[in-house]
Amino acid sequence: MNKVKSIARIVLAAAVFGVSGSAVVMAQDAPAGDAANGKRIYLADGCFTCHGRSGQGGAYNGPAPILAHTALPFDGFAGQVRNPVNDMPAFSDAVLSDKDVADIYAFVESLPGPRSAKDIPILNNN
Amino acid sequence: MPKRRQPSDSSRRNFLKGAGLVGAAAAVTTPVVANAVPAASPQRMKAALPGPQQIAAETLAPSKDPVNQTSSGGDYMTDVINSLGIDYMAINCASSYRGLHEAVINHANNKPEIITCVHEDIAVHMAQGYAKIEGKPMAMACHGVVGLQHATMAMYNAWCDRVPVLVFGGNIMEADKRAPGAEWLHAGVDIGQIVREFTKWDDQPASLTHFGESTVRAYKIATTPPMGPVFIALDAELQENPIPDPEGLRIPKYAPVVPPQGDSGAIAEAAKMLVEAQNPIIICDRVARTPAGMANLVALAEALQCGVIDNAGRMNFPSRHPLNQSFRRVLIGQADVILAIEMNDLWGTLTHFSDRIVRRSRPGTKPGAKLITLGVRDLYLKSNYQDFGRWQDIDLDIAGDGEASLPALTEAVRRLTDDGKKSAFDARGKKFAAAHLAMIEQSKTDATIGWDASPITTARMCAEVYAQIKDEDWSVVGTTIRLSWPHRLWDFKKPYQWNGVSGGAGIGYNLPASLGAALANKKHGRFTVAFGGDGDFMFNPGALWTAAHHKIPILYIVQNNRAYHQEYMYLVAMAARHGRGVDKMDIGTTLKDPNIDYATVARGMGAYGEGPITDPKDLGPALTRAIAAVKAGQPAVVDVVTDPR
Repeated sequence: MNKVKSIARIVLAAAVFGVSGSAVVMAQDAPAGDAANGKRIYLADGCFTCHGRSGQGGAYNGPAPILAHTALPFDGFAGQVRNPVNDMPAFSDAVLSDKDVADIYAFVESLPGPRSAKDIPILNNN
Repeated sequence: MPKRRQPSDSSRRNFLKGAGLVGAAAAVTTPVVANAVPAASPQRMKAALPGPQQIAAETLAPSKDPVNQTSSGGDYMTDVINSLGIDYMAINCASSYRGLHEAVINHANNKPEIITCVHEDIAVHMAQGYAKIEGKPMAMACHGVVGLQHATMAMYNAWCDRVPVLVFGGNIMEADKRAPGAEWLHAGVDIGQIVREFTKWDDQPASLTHFGESTVRAYKIATTPPMGPVFIALDAELQENPIPDPEGLRIPKYAPVVPPQGDSGAIAEAAKMLVEAQNPIIICDRVARTPAGMANLVALAEALQCGVIDNAGRMNFPSRHPLNQSFRRVLIGQADVILAIEMNDLWGTLTHFSDRIVRRSRPGTKPGAKLITLGVRDLYLKSNYQDFGRWQDIDLDIAGDGEASLPALTEAVRRLTDDGKKSAFDARGKKFAAAHLAMIEQSKTDATIGWDASPITTARMCAEVYAQIKDEDWSVVGTTIRLSWPHRLWDFKKPYQWNGVSGGAGIGYNLPASLGAALANKKHGRFTVAFGGDGDFMFNPGALWTAAHHKIPILYIVQNNRAYHQEYMYLVAMAARHGRGVDKMDIGTTLKDPNIDYATVARGMGAYGEGPITDPKDLGPALTRAIAAVKAGQPAVVDVVTDPR
C-alpha cells in the first residue's frame, strides 16, 4: 500500500473523524486486510485506548471518533493514521507497517456499528 | 455589636463555667510523714539506701504542679467553631490538636460531629465534596506539620475548585513547651507556609481572643466569592491549658459578605451587546453556588434564546434544556458575542491547542467576536501555581459574582428586547432546540455501539445505572475523567444533581469527595451515586471505612479500566512520536497482574461490594442488589470492568 499524502484526503479524514462514525463517505477500494490480526494490533498498539475496544470512540485531549463499522475510505483512514489532524499521534511505518494499517482497517470495518436505540428500552427512559 | 458573655447562657459559655488549676497538693490530705514506711532492719534490707533526691521526695511537701483543670482553651475554640454553624469536622486524630479534639467531644457533646478519616487527604476531600452540595464549609483538623503535608493535595484541589474548607493544624509554638521527640518533629515556626500558595488566608493565633477573631475571619474569607480553603494553626498550649481570662473572651460576630454584583453601567453595556448580537453564546463553569444559580442562568438564556455551553464545574444548567448546547462546541467559533460567566479555563475553552512536537494554538473564536466576562475568579490570584491559565483578551470585563449579577443582566436584556428582537430570538431558540434534540438522539445511537461487549462500554454502564436510579431523588457527585455519558443521556435538572469535579485534577479526589457530598445528601434523603476510576480509588480506598463507620449511603461505581488511562494514552502518543515500542506502553500505566478486586476491598472496609462485573448482562442485577444496600444505609461499591472511556 502506498502512503497517503493527499491533502484533500487528509482533510476528508479530518472531517469524518471529527463527527460521528455514522457519517457516510463514498466507499473506495481498500487492500485486503486480516481483521483478526488487525484486532490484535488494535489492542496491542494502543488504538483501543482512545477509540474503545468496540470502536465506540472516546476521548484523548478531545473527542476520539467512532471507528466501528467505519464508513471512511481506506485512504482517508490511512492518511489519518500517518498524518493525523488534531492531537492524534502519528503512527509511522516504524511502528505500524502498511499491512498493519490495512489489517486494522479491516478490523474496525468489521466491528458492528450502531443499532437502533429504540430497540434498547433503557436508552429511552426519558 | 459583638456578643458579650452572658453568664446565664450556658450553652454558649460552658467554657467559662470554671477556670483554674487544681494542684496535686490539694488532693493530698494525709501528711507525707505519716505514710512513711518504717525502716527495715539492716539484716533484712535488700534495696540500696535511698539517695538524697528520694529522701527529699519522701519527706518534703509536694510541689504545686497542677494536674487538673476545669476549663480549657479548647472549649472556647469549640464554641467559636460551633458559632459558625459548622456541622462536621473531618479529622485524622493527632496529639498536636488533642486539646481541641477532647473539647469537641466532652465540652460540646461531639459537635461539630467528628468524621473519622484514615488520611488527611480524605478528610479535606470530603470537606470539598460536602461544601459543593451543602453550600457551607466543613472543618478539618490534622497535625500541623506531618498531617498538613498529607492534606496538601486535597487543599490544592479545593483551591483550584474555589471551594471553602476550614483547615486546622496543631502546633506547639513555644520551644520550651515541646516534649523531646515527636513534638519537635511536629512543630514549626510557620506551619502554614506549606499551604499558603493555595489557601486564601491563614493565621497562627497567639491567644484565645486572637483565635476567635481569626477563625471567624478565616470562615468569612473562605466563604466570600471567590471561595477557597483557609488554614488556622492551633497552638497546643492555647488548646489544652486553662482559660486565663474567661471574662475577657467573647465569640466574634459573623456576618456573611453579600457577594458583589457587577457594575450597573457595565451590566447595561453587556446587555446591549448581547441583544444586538446575531449569534451570542453563553459559556460558563462555576456559576451556581446556591440553588438560585441555575434558575438565574436559565432565565438569562431564555431571555436571549441563546445557546449555553456548560463546562460543568457546578450544576449550572439543566442537561435537557433545549438551549443546552454543551456538546456543540462548534458554536463558539460561530458566535459574534460570547458571554463567559465564572469561567475557569477561559483561554483553553476559546482556543484550539495542538499537543504536538511544536505546540501551537489558534483562536477558536470568529475574527471580530466580542468577549464579555462576568465573574470573581480573577479577583484573588496567587503567582506560583499557574491555575489562572493563559492570558485572554477581553472586550468587557465585569468584576462581579456571576450568580448575584445574573438577575440584573437578565432584566437589562428584557428591557432592550422589543417585539422584533423577541421574534428573532424565538426563531433562534427553535434552532437550538432542534439541534439539542438531535444531539440526544445521536448520543443514544452512539451508546448502542458495543452494547453487549465485554469489557462493558462506559455508555452501557451509565445507562444501566440511570435505569435503576432515575426515579430516585438522585445526586451524581463524582465522575471519571472525561466520562460524558451521564450528561449526554441523563436528565439533570435539580441544583444538587451535580457538583463538578476535582478542580486541580489531583488524583484521589473522587472517592472521598463523593463521600463528603453523600454525607451532605444523607440528611436530605437523596440517593447519592458516583462514578470513579480505579486509579483514583487506589489513592484513598480507606475512605470506604469512613463511609461504613459513619453509615454514609452511596452507590459508588468503579469504572475499572485497569489503568491510569489518560497517562496510558499519553505514553502511546510519546512512543508513536518517537517511532518505537507502542506496544509496551502498558508498563507503569496499568493496574493488572494481579487485577485488583475492588468489591473485596470494599467488603474489607465494611462496605457492600459487588463485582468485578465483566458481562453486561450481570450489571443490572448487581446494581439492583447494591441499590438495596444503599437504601439500607450502606455504602456500596460496584466494580464494573469497562472499556477505557
